[in-house]
Amino acid sequence: MEKKRAEDHEVEIAPPVKVDKFGFVKPDQNSPEAGLTRSKSAFEFEREERRIRKWRRMIGVGGSDWKHYVRRKPHVVKRRIRKGIPDCLRGLVWQLISGSRDLLLMNPGVYEQLVIYETSASELDIIRDISRTFPSHVFFQQRHGPGQRSLYNVLKAYSVFDRDVGYVQGMGFVAGLLLLYMSEEDAFWLLVALLKGAVHAPMEGLYLAGLPLVQQYLFQFENLVKEQLPKLGEHFAQEMINPSMYASQWFITVFAYSFPFHLAIRVWDVFLYEGVKIVFKVGLALLKCCQDNLLYNILLQQVKLPFEKLIHALRNFPDDALNPDSLLPMAYSTKVSRRLEELRQEYEKQNRKKDESIGKQGEQPP
Amino acid sequence: MARRPDEEYDYLFKVVLIGDSGVGKSNLLSRFTRNEFCLESKSTIGVEFATRTLQVEGRTIKAQIWDTAGQERYRAITSAYYRGALGALLVYDVTKPTTFENVSRWLKELRDHADANIVIMLIGNKTDLKHLRAVATEDAQGFAEKEGLSFIETSALEATNVEKAFQTILGEIYRIISKKSLSSDEPAPASIKEGKTLVVGTQETNIKKPCCSSS
Repeated sequence: MEKKRAEDHEVEIAPPVKVDKFGFVKPDQNSPEAGLTRSKSAFEFEREERRIRKWRRMIGVGGSDWKHYVRRKPHVVKRRIRKGIPDCLRGLVWQLISGSRDLLLMNPGVYEQLVIYETSASELDIIRDISRTFPSHVFFQQRHGPGQRSLYNVLKAYSVFDRDVGYVQGMGFVAGLLLLYMSEEDAFWLLVALLKGAVHAPMEGLYLAGLPLVQQYLFQFENLVKEQLPKLGEHFAQEMINPSMYASQWFITVFAYSFPFHLAIRVWDVFLYEGVKIVFKVGLALLKCCQDNLLYNILLQQVKLPFEKLIHALRNFPDDALNPDSLLPMAYSTKVSRRLEELRQEYEKQNRKKDESIGKQGEQPP
Repeated sequence: MARRPDEEYDYLFKVVLIGDSGVGKSNLLSRFTRNEFCLESKSTIGVEFATRTLQVEGRTIKAQIWDTAGQERYRAITSAYYRGALGALLVYDVTKPTTFENVSRWLKELRDHADANIVIMLIGNKTDLKHLRAVATEDAQGFAEKEGLSFIETSALEATNVEKAFQTILGEIYRIISKKSLSSDEPAPASIKEGKTLVVGTQETNIKKPCCSSS
């Protein structure tokens, strides 16, 4: 919408833009991120090549050996995925581990039908957000360009495919991330696989009316913080910080909204294979490694960080904390599975009680 | 005017920014708190937060502003933030009639979830798009009068009336609060803390950052 204003003056500015290796426009040359794009040493290059060869062998031509390999050596697959899927194979592997490839093959022509022949009540909502999704990525920058068109198509198709979910802000960042690695149709089926739960628990509750799964995840996360990082949990409670203030976007977009892209895709590698618990793990690891900066003023060690500073810190983690090679190992060593399940049951029990007491008062639940 | 460190203030006022998606809430906030406008801003997911300390009627007021996602489905999360808010800036887009038509629904939302005496200001944003205007000033003015809201038109892009909008609502809140504390001996409500005089971390934190992050 804002972009319209630039066009009003009929200025077509197209200077050559500098982008990072993922296609995001570089904010400025002096930023620390510039260090990430430095050229690789011969040794690193060789190691990367070896890794890709290993992965190719594991996948087979077009993914033909994948299922066999996973069945035989699930732990090898898990370990390799945790180290990061080679970027050139990422799109294909994501489709294999999410189960979306199977959906695609079972439903020929369905996507085309949804895009071309159906209309959606969410069309205007989607259009309004298209230019506000990854606005700093070259693929999505051009108005009505291929990036924006395919993003629109995928979101519209999904909003028709599942009219209960329709379109919800945040889905664009998920679809956008996928579109940087695969075609429209592939991205659509991966979205279906995630939201309908082809391999893991369905994610659609993140976007359904009332955002029920967001609420559940926030409840679980808040309790995990209290249990695993008691000092921080207490400080948050004192300052009345709750995770809806900083973590809703983590869950709604699986870190695609505001995290550095090189970290987001590494989280996605693991997320697609192991499920949503990696989001909790990464969130906890991040709080843990920044704990001191979240508790105390940097200069006056005894002074606790007040509310506003705390919120700011929770939205602006330092670059070194966001380095996947140190953050992810920390996340992997965080244990959450058992507690997550217990907390889920606790949350459901609480909700049932709430619903019952509301029911007794003769009111409609919200 | 002497700058005070941002921790030192007489009053802390919580204000929420609400209104349909895409009307410019986040840019009003960034214009007010950082004097920035971002042409390539991302849609807000959940809630965002910013503060600014300023002089209103001779008092130092810290405005704590919560910016909320506009899409209806997000109200499940955002409506919790109305609680304890002393003011609400209800924004519509002067080029999009539906965003103005939805103002009544937002008012109902406030009546359901916010404190009864919350100060509400109606804001028509994007006045810079003159040739696209679709909501007449008089219509909005009339509506605001009927509903007992203050009203102003702004352009976050051109920085028109943004300062004035926030000054006005903060002034209104201040007058109500000070009248209240005059008329009764009770201390002000818990959400309006008297400013702490303790100064911590006096260094200026006005480091300019680019308005868009890399992702």
